[in-house]
Formats: sequence, structure tokens, C-alpha cells
Amino acid sequence: MKKVIDILTSYSTPHKVSAIGNEAIARGAIEAGVNGVFSYPGTPSTEISEVFNLISIFRNSNSSLGNHADLIKNDLYFEYSINEKVALEKAIAFSIGNKSVLCVMKNVGMNIASDPLMSITYQTIIAPLVIVVCDDPGCHSSSNEQDSRYWGNMASVPVFNPATPKDAYEMTKQAFRLSEELRLPVIVRTTTRVSHTRGMLEYNEISTTSRESLFERLPEHINIPARTAVAHQKLLDKLNSDIVDPYFKLFNTIYFAGENKDLAIISSGVTTSYILEIVQRNNLTNRLELFDLGLIFPFPKKGVSEFLQKEFKQVLIIEELDPIIENAVRNIAQKNQLYCEILGKDYAGLGSCGEFTLSQIDQALAHFFKVSTVGEGELDHVNQYENGLPPRPPALCSGCPHRATYYALKLVVPRYNPTDTGKMKGEEVILCGDIGCSGLGALPPLKMVDTINHMGMSISMAQGLSEALKEKNTKVIAMLGDGTFFHSGILSLLNAVYTKSNLMVIIFDNRTIGMTGHQDHPGANNRTKYHEIDIPPLLRGMGIEYVETLMPFDTKDSFKKLEEAMSHEGVSVLVSKAPCVFLPGYKEFTKQDSRIVIDPSKCNTCHNHADLDINCSRNSSASTGMIRAIAKIKAQKPVNASDQSCPANICNHGFFNSILEKDYETALEMVRDKMLFARTCGDLCHRPCELFSNHGAESTVPIKQLKKFVSGIDENFKDFSSTFQRIVNTPKINKNVAIIGAGPAGLSAAYDLIRDGYQVTVFEKEAEAGGLIKHVIPDFRMDKSGFDFEVSQLEKMGVHFHFNSVLGRGIQLEDICQQYDGVIVAIGLGKSNLLDIISSVSDSKKFDAISFLKEYNQKSLKVKPDASILVVGGGNSAIDAARSAKRFHPSVNVVLSCIEEKELMPAFKEEIGHAIEEGVTIFPNSYVAACSESDKLNIALHQFDAKNHLQDLICDYIVIAIGQQGNIEEYSIIGEDKLGNGNKIKANNKTGFTNYKNVFVAGDICDENHMSLIGAIASGKRAVIGIKKLLENYEHDYEGINSLLNLNNKQKEGNSSHPLDLNGDISSIISQFNLFQSCEKCNHCIDNLGCPAMIKINGKINIDYPKCTKCGLCIDVCPNDAISWVKESEVVIENQILTT
Amino acid sequence: MDQPYKILVAGVGGQGVIFLTKLLVKSALWANIPVATSEIHGLAQRGGSVTAGVTLGEHTNGFLEKGGVDLLLGLEPLEAQRCVSYLNKKSNAIIDNNIILPYSVNSGNSAYPDTNKFIHYLKEQIQNVIFISASPESIKLKLRNFYMLGKACKESHFPIQPEFVEKAITELARKGFEESGVKTFRLGLKEIKIALSE
Repeated sequence: MKKVIDILTSYSTPHKVSAIGNEAIARGAIEAGVNGVFSYPGTPSTEISEVFNLISIFRNSNSSLGNHADLIKNDLYFEYSINEKVALEKAIAFSIGNKSVLCVMKNVGMNIASDPLMSITYQTIIAPLVIVVCDDPGCHSSSNEQDSRYWGNMASVPVFNPATPKDAYEMTKQAFRLSEELRLPVIVRTTTRVSHTRGMLEYNEISTTSRESLFERLPEHINIPARTAVAHQKLLDKLNSDIVDPYFKLFNTIYFAGENKDLAIISSGVTTSYILEIVQRNNLTNRLELFDLGLIFPFPKKGVSEFLQKEFKQVLIIEELDPIIENAVRNIAQKNQLYCEILGKDYAGLGSCGEFTLSQIDQALAHFFKVSTVGEGELDHVNQYENGLPPRPPALCSGCPHRATYYALKLVVPRYNPTDTGKMKGEEVILCGDIGCSGLGALPPLKMVDTINHMGMSISMAQGLSEALKEKNTKVIAMLGDGTFFHSGILSLLNAVYTKSNLMVIIFDNRTIGMTGHQDHPGANNRTKYHEIDIPPLLRGMGIEYVETLMPFDTKDSFKKLEEAMSHEGVSVLVSKAPCVFLPGYKEFTKQDSRIVIDPSKCNTCHNHADLDINCSRNSSASTGMIRAIAKIKAQKPVNASDQSCPANICNHGFFNSILEKDYETALEMVRDKMLFARTCGDLCHRPCELFSNHGAESTVPIKQLKKFVSGIDENFKDFSSTFQRIVNTPKINKNVAIIGAGPAGLSAAYDLIRDGYQVTVFEKEAEAGGLIKHVIPDFRMDKSGFDFEVSQLEKMGVHFHFNSVLGRGIQLEDICQQYDGVIVAIGLGKSNLLDIISSVSDSKKFDAISFLKEYNQKSLKVKPDASILVVGGGNSAIDAARSAKRFHPSVNVVLSCIEEKELMPAFKEEIGHAIEEGVTIFPNSYVAACSESDKLNIALHQFDAKNHLQDLICDYIVIAIGQQGNIEEYSIIGEDKLGNGNKIKANNKTGFTNYKNVFVAGDICDENHMSLIGAIASGKRAVIGIKKLLENYEHDYEGINSLLNLNNKQKEGNSSHPLDLNGDISSIISQFNLFQSCEKCNHCIDNLGCPAMIKINGKINIDYPKCTKCGLCIDVCPNDAISWVKESEVVIENQILTT
Repeated sequence: MDQPYKILVAGVGGQGVIFLTKLLVKSALWANIPVATSEIHGLAQRGGSVTAGVTLGEHTNGFLEKGGVDLLLGLEPLEAQRCVSYLNKKSNAIIDNNIILPYSVNSGNSAYPDTNKFIHYLKEQIQNVIFISASPESIKLKLRNFYMLGKACKESHFPIQPEFVEKAITELARKGFEESGVKTFRLGLKEIKIALSE
């Protein structure tokens, strides 16, 4: 209230104050006895209206007027009208009701108010009407820099053009007098540099003359064409009358008048201030005469003509924007045949665009007076420090509800790829923005606006575009603020309803006119006493069927409603309603008792890697597409990716998000970043990643099936070019590593080593690579040709193979240790365990499972077509053998006996299920108690626990599948102390190092408690890390180690994961999951939200607490769940104030 | 006052550039020194660059020109640097190391200039530089401008006596901050050699 009292303080004697131009104008109007003020806020005019707004609030407040009661003698009405047109119309009417009136607007406001202006001059006003229009040369905050001085000519109304706040004050005051005398509206036109300049002036007494309310029925109040033609001449006569003369004298001033001066300047507005300062500073006052024109319309023809007759050699006209004075002066000179050189636009670089500066005027005058302006004490190399600085454009405030709305819209209409500016992605949607704070959504990183025109055009633009692009069925969205909606958007919206347009409108209802400093409008009365119009009922009343209100900080709800509105045919309107951060209501929905905290271990950190140099096929994280963020909002099932870790350390995050983006190529690359066998794992993996999950099967991401899907796309599967490229790009390491055994463990090690630049040689006892997968796993469980293709790539990558090389026979471990820098033994388990009780059975009737399956795979199996076969064992080999036997011939009868209860069988549940479906009879909890051979084998099965007789069987063959052990002959040199159970080799479980020379182990030969494909792959990778530690002093541990070691203890398979329809749209099926994980490449909040309270320091997001408004939007936005609330009372971290 | 004295206040919208300007005006009025300012409003609170000119003395209107500023009050180092061409060899500068990263830096598209290098440059080029590298802990962010004003009053040519600035602070500070404002101002005034960055 200090300000109101200050401005209202009545001085009986003049009192010196300092005021900005706009305050001075307000005071001038008050002193002139203004009765009413009608306005629409707009920079740079707003402070004028704000004075009256404050007075109005002050008067309407119940607070005691105290000593200030005498200040409010005059009645004073104020309103922020719905727009400038209504403001001026109502102001005209107010004048006709015999009350003096001020109407205030910015430059472009006059455009819509021009309709009433152009006609009223032909009619009449009664009480004085002064219009203040503020121009904005340089467009500090306007959509154009139009020159409002033209309105004088255009509408035939007097125009004052003040140079200083003092001028503005005096001219406003006198404008009321002139208006009353002429019965014409009078314009006081300012520019930003007058409105927002503070200067010294004297306030004088406030007029207390009261005006009686009065309406007189005059013929001029009726505008009919017959009368107006005559009125035009009357109007021109008014302007040419001598009523204006005293005002010319008052405001058109000649400075430094003297004899015989050659040079003269004619200037108007702020440029006069610049000229005066420079001329006085440089002691040039005796060199020129300066004619300052304060009243520029009607143009002071007489005064200028007399001035020109002083026979100057040169007259320079300095005015910002258009050459209005210059043209008038040239006209006068020509008409009066006054021949002096007239200089104007483009003299010394003073053009028609932008605002002039003191420096520019200084240079122009130096040129004009032919003096030097070389500045004293200029700094050296100042350009180096001044140029190329990062710009700081205005942005939506931190916590702004508009940002929340835009973000939610971005999730619905994901269009921009920040790395690929301006390119439209996905569905074509056009976003038509409008003037005001909401227009800042056009700036990065939001970039959610395609068009902004003049105020209120968004809805018309959207309608017109929607109509023009009808054949493409383009969806167009209009977006505008609540103030803009009432200002002029509402009319366009009515037109849209009436023309059955197809468009969606979002009203950004932040309960105020934000940009100009929080003024009220018809939809939001925070401070005034007027009636508040509720927008949604208004919209429904307009006949709009789809009207919804959303709370922008409820991202899930906003997303849903935006999606709904998007799909609505016809006009749909969403009112996004939340108060501006500067309104008191803002705090009500923000969590003021808590603080937003970022967990740095989840922000910009790779979950999979400590070694960030490791190759990642994903160029960036959630920043690129919005898909990750959409998943977060849409998905019902949040899953922490680290709950589903792969022993081979495949990045679930990148894999999963690539699939969501339908970028299946990258998804496959993500797998291949870590392992060769994407398709084989898709077939065979027992998916520990899914089993490790603590979530139920329904909430477990079906990674194995996804792997099968992405690797099933042949075009991508066949393309190993990026791997080859990577090998080409990797610097070679001059180290040779030998791998013994070309099974999945050895081949995985080879794959990692060759990609890291090593020389790799693989020794294999068979004639082909592939190990158990190639030779033993039956082809009905997997795509053998896919596996062969995957394996065949290694040779192309540069891995050397030596086949038919048997350890202990053709090659010796000792020699290899010497010949190579490192050795990985991955020979598998060469010897099958035997069952003593059938030792006497003839060889033609008994098999070990491995040989049986090898022969089956090689199609060399020799059994009778109608044979009965007993398989002994409960593991995967037993099930494979049983299923293979059944497939060998449909009439083969297969019985399986194992000592475990069914649910404890080591084989995969799915496989057991398949075996039973295929007709294999299983006797769990049983063992072969007796076996005798005749033509056939007579076998007695007993219960394993109770030892009772269970079943007698007669069969042709018996297949023993009770496990394998290492073949010690191959590696006895390593020493018995290093051997474990089943002659497996003991090794360091973090590196696979055997403690023997430079030998590492991988795969089934490694003394661990797992026998699985993924275990073999992971242990191969682990051995590579061991090698790298040995040969390169590599510092990081194997990054999948926890999952690998976890594997040891989790042999059993859990529930089957929910089967996916692999022929359907995979990305939409899996969008039910929100699989989140921290990612080092994530920059989502910076790239897509851009809240000024979020700052990235050293790669991590920090909250700038003094700026944070506690809206909590960032918590919804973070794709990695790194942000959360902490109660203020529990905050332990230091308040972070930014310093370098 | 024989010569006009020109002050440039530079900062980021919301930091209090306009408020500091008003304080200077009020102080000058109390000291009976003619004062004028030039400001840009409107977008000022939206986090953009904001500058204001304050000119003390006859025949000035708040307008500044390149090389024509006597005192630069930089509330933020980058914004201070943006105004470097307004300084001359006789200028003084007080710069608060209250770094606010612009979006272009935050997004990694451009680099924040090296503040120490800039301060070093200024020290070589202009008369005097006070770099508030870290205010004492007792100075809250909201009070830093008062502290800076205290530093300004220490400048040899600063034409306004501290007592008038104190009067202005008492008059204009937000309710509840009048006393702490004056206290912080005095702190800035008292500490002659605080936190000079080398």
C-alpha cells in the first residue's frame, strides 16, 4: 500500500519525486481529475493501470483509510476490461456520461481498439478522454514494433510524444484539457524507454473539480452515414483550430536558440533526452539548435516552418521507428521552398528498426558535428570476453503449471527429437500457441509450439489449419492462457463450434494474466470485486461437448485426459487449471512441509557398468524419445530393472526401451553388446533374469520372449556389421589368448576378447564349434541354423579355430600356457557318470545321455522304431533324451525314472511339461533297484525314499542321464589340489583364475553349482575380465558377477512368465511395464522439462533449493526414480547454494 | 557532485535488479542527488537477463553507454561479463559469485565462462574489482544485495553516504527484513578486504 499512498498523496505545494514514466502518467491523470480508467495490461504500459488497480483495491478493502481519507476525494472507477476494444468503447461511453476517463494499453492493443477510435472522432465525446499507448521499439516484450504515432494521422486525434517521465506527466495532464476543449480523444504515446525510465519531477495538487453524471441526447451520438461525411470536415477543422496553439507552445521547445547556427536537429521522444545529454556533456550547445516536438499531431507546421526559415545548412531529424516527422518536415520544406539539407533516416546508421541507444546517438552526433568520439579508457580485447557468451532468454518459472501441462502434452504428442531439432516424429499434430506466458512453451527444451501470432489467434489458426489440412486428417491443438481466452480467444472458439471444426483447445488457466505481473481477468478475480466467470460451464453453454478440467501436476490424470481429448472428433476443450506460482493459492497444493531430494546413485549413473568406456549401442537414454517417460506414466507395473539382472549383464533398460520405441535393431544390438548368442538364448535360456525377480509372474518383464522376438527378425539377426565395425575401431592389443573348448563358454570368451582387440585362438576337440549346444541339445528345442550362424561370425571377426585338438592328446595345457599370454579352459565335462547296476548290460542296449543325444542330433541313432526306452535321471539331459527318444519314432515308448520328487527335478519345469505332453511317462522318487538282461532288459523300479517296489519294466534300451564329470586326463597337470567335486576345476569366483600359471576356467568345468547356457556365457565373460586384469591391469570387476553368483544358488525355475503373442505389436504389449533403471546417458529432465530449479553439476542433477517451488513434477518426470520427497524435518543434506 | 556517476546493475530476472535500483534511487533522493534510471520490465521475472541503469547527477536520464559506466553491480558473474563493454579503465565492479546456470549451459549446449579468468581480466583492466566469492554464512541469499550495496558504498567515488542508503533500506525492504537488511549492509560496509579472490 506504500505505493498507493505515495501516488495519492496530495501536495498543496509542488513536491519533488522520482518516478518512472508510467507512474508519472498515472499521477498526471489523477491530478487532472480523472474519474475512470479502463485498461488491458500489456508491457510496457502496465504500471500505469497498476496504479489505478491498486487504488481500486485499496478503496475496496475494508482496511481503515486512517489518515489517508482525505486523499480519496475524487470518485475513481477502474477496470481491467476484457480487451482493449471493450476498454476503449467503455471509456468513450464513460466520457459521454460526462466523466473524465483514461484508457491505457500497449502498442498492439490499439489495433483492436482502433475500430471505436476511428469512428468516435466523427462523433463526439463529452468529458475528456485520454488514451495512453506504449510502444516498444526493439520489441523487448511485444510482437511488433509498430509506430503508434500514426494513429494521429489515421484517426485525426492529437498525439503527444513525451521524452522523459516529467514530459509524460505534464503532457498527460494537459491532454485532459486539450481533449475537453476539442471534444476529441487525445493520445499520449510513450516508448519503453520513457515508460520505464525513472526521473525527477514535481507532483502538484490534485484537481477536485467534480463532474456531474449526465447524458445529453445529442445527434452526434448516432452514427449514420449521411451525417458522417459532414463530420469529417468538422473534425479536420477542430484540429486546425487555434485551440491547439497554446499546446504547441507548451510542448514544442527549441533548445539552444541562438544566432547564425549552421546545424539543427529536430527530435521527438526519448531521442531528445539522448541528444540533450550528449550535447551538454560534449559542450556542443553553441553548435546547434534543437527542436523537440512533444505534440506531434496535428503536426506543428507553423513552428517547424519558422524553424526551417532560420537558414540552417543542415537539419538532422532524429526519431525512432518510422520517418513520420522527417516526412512531415520534408513536406513543409518543399511546400515553403525552404532549401536546407534535410537529413533523416539512415543517417549515420540511424534506421527505422529497433530502439536507438545513447552510444548510437553519440556516434551520429559526432558524425554530424564532425568531432571525435573515441571513448576514453576502453578495455583491451573486450570482445574476447563479451562475445559468444551463453544466452539467457526468459523461461517459464520453476514450478510453473504451464510447464507441467506442456510436459504432459509432450507425452501424448511426442514429436521432437532434441538431437534432431524440428523434425516431426510420429503422428502429425500441429500446436498453435498464443501470446503470454504459455507462449514460452515454444522455447527449448519444451518446444511444444508451432505457431504464435497476435493475441488470441491460436484458436482461429487451429481452425483454419484443421480445415486446410482436412484431407490429411491432421489434428490441430490450440493453446492459450486464461487471460488470452477471454481477451479474444473466446470469439474464435464460438466460431469453431459454429463451423463444426475439428480441433482441440487447451486453456492454460493459471488464474491470472501472468506475463504482465498478475492482473485479474473475467475468469479470475484475485484482487478485484468483480464477478468471476467459471470457464467450464461457459464452454458447455457454448455447445462444446467435450470439456474437461485437469490438474496439470497430476501427470497421470493429465496424460489420460489429454489422450481422451485428442481422440475426440469435433471441438474438445481442456482447462488445465492451477494457479501461477506467484499467487497465494499455489502453496496449497505443493508440499511445503517436504523437500525434493535427488539420489545421486540413481541419477546419471549406469546400473550395468562401473566402466563407462564400455560400448553401449544406445546413443542416448530416455532423452531421445519420450517413450520411456510415457511408459512411466502409462504403465501399471513398475519394475526395477536391477531386479531382473542378467548374468551376462545385458542392459535391460536399453533393451526394453528400444523395444518400446520399436527400434528392434538397437534392442538386438543391446544384447549383442554383451553376448553373441541372442537367438540361442531366446530359445534355451532358463531366464534367471525373470526368476530373480521378486515380482509375481504377471509383473515380471518377459525378457526371454522379447529376446526371442528381436533376434527372430532375420534382417537384423543377419547383420553383424556394427560388431565388425567396432572391432575395426578398437585398437589392437598385442596379446594372444588361447581358449580350449568351443562351447558357449569358450565362444563367449572369444567374442569378448576379439572385440577388445586381443588375438584369440580356440582349440576344439570336435570337428566343429558349438559344444553341447551344437551336438547335444536336440533341434526341437532351438534354432540350430541360427546358432551356427552366430558361431560362424567369430571366425569372420578374426578368431582362429583349431579343430580336432584334444587336450591331453594332441595339445598339452603346459605348452599352451607358455605359447599364449593367457589361457581359458572351457572344455566342459567330458565324462558321463555311470550306473553300476547296469554295468553288465551289453553296450548296444545302454547309452549315456550325451552320446544318445549326439547320435540323435547326428541322425545316427540306432534304436528299433517300436522300442521301449528307460531314461534314468531328472535333469535337462534326461528330459532332452526322453523327448528325443519320443521324437525318434512316435511308437517308441519312453519311461523316465528319477530319484527326485517331480517338483524337485533339476530339469526346467517347462521341459518336464513338454515331455509329459509328448507322452513320456515319469516315475519320480524312483531308482533302478535291479536290472537283468535277456532279449530285453527287465528292470525293477523301487521307491527312492521308502525303498518299496514300485514298478517292473521291460525295455529295449536304457539311457543314463545322471550327470557328467570332468575328464581328468585332459588337465591333470593343473594339480589335484585344484580339483573339486566331479573333477571340476576350482577357481576364483570373481575372475575364474585357477591359481595355475595363466589359466582361467569357464563353463561347466568350473567348479560351481550351475550348469546352464547363460551361466556358461557369463563365466566366459568373467574369465575375460580375469585375463584383462592379468594382462592389462584392468581395474573393474566383472559387472554381472552378482547375477552370476546368484545363479549358483538358484537352480530352480520359478513360475512361467506370462506368454506373449510374439506376432502381435510387441511394443504395445509390453507398455504395461515401467522397467526403470538408472542410466548414465539420461538427460531427460534437462532435455524435456527444463525446470530452472534443476541444475546439472558434474553430470548429476541438483535441486537449486531457493528456486524450487515444491511442485514435485520432477518426481513424476524422472525416468529413473531418482527423485523423491523427504520431510523437511528429516532433511540431512546441506542446503545447496550454487557456487563453483 | 561535479561529474555524473553511472551505475549498471546486471543480474538474472528474480534476483532483485529492479529492487536494488529502487534502493539506489531512494538513497540518492535522501542524499539530495539528482537520480534517474532506465529499466526493462515485463519479462524480468522470467529468469532472463536483466539490466538497469542508474545515473546520478544533472543532465542524465538513466541511460548508459559502452565504456561509460563508473560502477558495475553484477549480481551474477555471467550477467556481469555480458556487460563488460560498458566498463572503462576507471570503472569499478562488484561482482557476486552467485552463479545461475542458464538453460543452454545446463543442457550442455554451451559452456559457462570461466569466472576466475574474467575476474582476473577485470583486475588487470579496471580500477577496482570486488569479487564476493562467498558471502559469510550469515548472509542469506535474500540479503546478498544489501551486502553488495555495502561494498558499493566503500568505493572511493560512490557519491551516496551510507546513512542515506540505510534510510532507504529501512524504507523499502520487505516487511521483516528492514533490520537484517541494514545489518547486512553494514557488514558489507565494514569488511574492506573480504573474500577477494586471487
